[in-house]
Amino acid sequence: MKVIRKLNNEKLENIVWGIISFTAIIIFWQIIVTLIKAENFPPPTKVFSEFLKDFISPIGKYTLLGHIGWSLSRVLVGYCAAAVLGISIGLFMGWSKFFRALFKPVFDLLRPIPPIAWIPLSILWFGIGEKPKYFLIFIGAFTAFTLNAYLGAVKVDKQLIGAAKMLGATDKQVFRKVVLPSTVPQIFSGFQVALSNAWMAVLGAEMIRSSEGAGWIIIMGMESGNTPQMIVGMISIGITGFILATSMRVLERRLVAWNVRGK
Amino acid sequence: MECKREIAAADKQEKIIITCDKVSKEFSINDKSTDTFKVIENISLEVHENEFLVLFGPGQCGKTTMLNIIAGLDSPTTGKVFESGKLIEGPGPSRGVVYQTIALFPWLTVMGNVEFGPKARGFAQKDYRQKARYFIDLVGLSGFENTFPVRLSGGMKQRVGIARAYCNDPLVLLMDEPFGHLDAQTRYMMQEELGKIWQKEKRTVIFVTNNIEEAIYLADRIVLLDDCPTKIKEEYKIDLPRPRSLIDPEFLKIRKEISQAMDIDI
Repeated sequence: MKVIRKLNNEKLENIVWGIISFTAIIIFWQIIVTLIKAENFPPPTKVFSEFLKDFISPIGKYTLLGHIGWSLSRVLVGYCAAAVLGISIGLFMGWSKFFRALFKPVFDLLRPIPPIAWIPLSILWFGIGEKPKYFLIFIGAFTAFTLNAYLGAVKVDKQLIGAAKMLGATDKQVFRKVVLPSTVPQIFSGFQVALSNAWMAVLGAEMIRSSEGAGWIIIMGMESGNTPQMIVGMISIGITGFILATSMRVLERRLVAWNVRGK
Repeated sequence: MECKREIAAADKQEKIIITCDKVSKEFSINDKSTDTFKVIENISLEVHENEFLVLFGPGQCGKTTMLNIIAGLDSPTTGKVFESGKLIEGPGPSRGVVYQTIALFPWLTVMGNVEFGPKARGFAQKDYRQKARYFIDLVGLSGFENTFPVRLSGGMKQRVGIARAYCNDPLVLLMDEPFGHLDAQTRYMMQEELGKIWQKEKRTVIFVTNNIEEAIYLADRIVLLDDCPTKIKEEYKIDLPRPRSLIDPEFLKIRKEISQAMDIDI
């Protein structure tokens, strides 16, 4: 009861609309299936029962949660590596003219190449184990981290830097106490974009060659003619991505309280 | 804390804090051209200890640039600026700036902003915490120590800006149209407030404004500037007792005199 009272009208309204839209989609889905009667277009009930079943009985080596766990752990490795390297390079590019002149052109050229284009090279370089997957996720997340950290560092208010210097801050202190904190909101939006990129990259990698993971569920579904399983794979990807993005936003609101105008 | 300075002030009224010696500043018209235009022409002035000096003039031409040169954030094309006889070559904590855009650090609380200077300069927290509290209280923001700037009104933010400048204990306070972005009502209130704060905590102040009422209300001395290029036109000593009244006949007389001297042509 307390929770409901805490939600304001707008939030409650959004939830209601969300429920309505999901119901509408499922009804629409059911209607189409009844009209078409195609074998490879299962009704929502079948997909839902497959979804529940996959929580308990394993597909291949793991249950649904096990596969998602595999995908998540791959994302974690590539994502963290990309965060460390991307944010540092981005900050330096924004802060130092020399670094910018050196790295920006290369970065601008690499940026438009989608992670999937790296798949053949990654297999050639790293074989078929976990390493090429880490690499692809890294590539997917790296550009978002770098670009956002760079933009944040470039956008730092010059007047704030002046103000810090007038108050007696040294160059090092200006970087630590002004440049870094003022880039945090932008870096956070980098975390968001990088996360969805990384999540996309892991699925690409798993669909090419793997024996577990959310992407593998989809491919296995296709190979064994189990369409509900394919859709279960897709839905679980959607739900996981949504949960990740939402928790990231909650974290951001906590950590960057100063940037958010509260009620 | 306040008494120490005021006693010292009594016998050193004539000590010169800031000297501008024939300062001129030119900017190039654009990146490609070598043509320049002059924004400041040959300004020489002295600012005495604990004097409230107002640089007053119409337009947007060179007043802020002049203040930036004194701050050390900009350098003159010709001429020199000295602080207590020492050439100013860059920014430094002996000159505290209060900005028109306020320029608080949004990720720091009121307390964090006010103690930024002494903290960065490596003083012990027990020394500056108490001082920061004192100035936060002086500008009327007790109870807001842990509030982030985003939650404060424009007037409150600028109070923080003033406390931040004071708390770093500068030799001179440079105020660049600090109330320029505030609405008229808040502006009057802040002028009154600054007058009170300054009476309680006398400092050397160089205050830039294009508002004639504000200038006469606050100044010990007004330097009237001509616009484009900015140069000194006239000087007025304002001896009215404080706190001043905007509708006092003496006040209005001075106002009329200065207005006439301005012969505003914009």
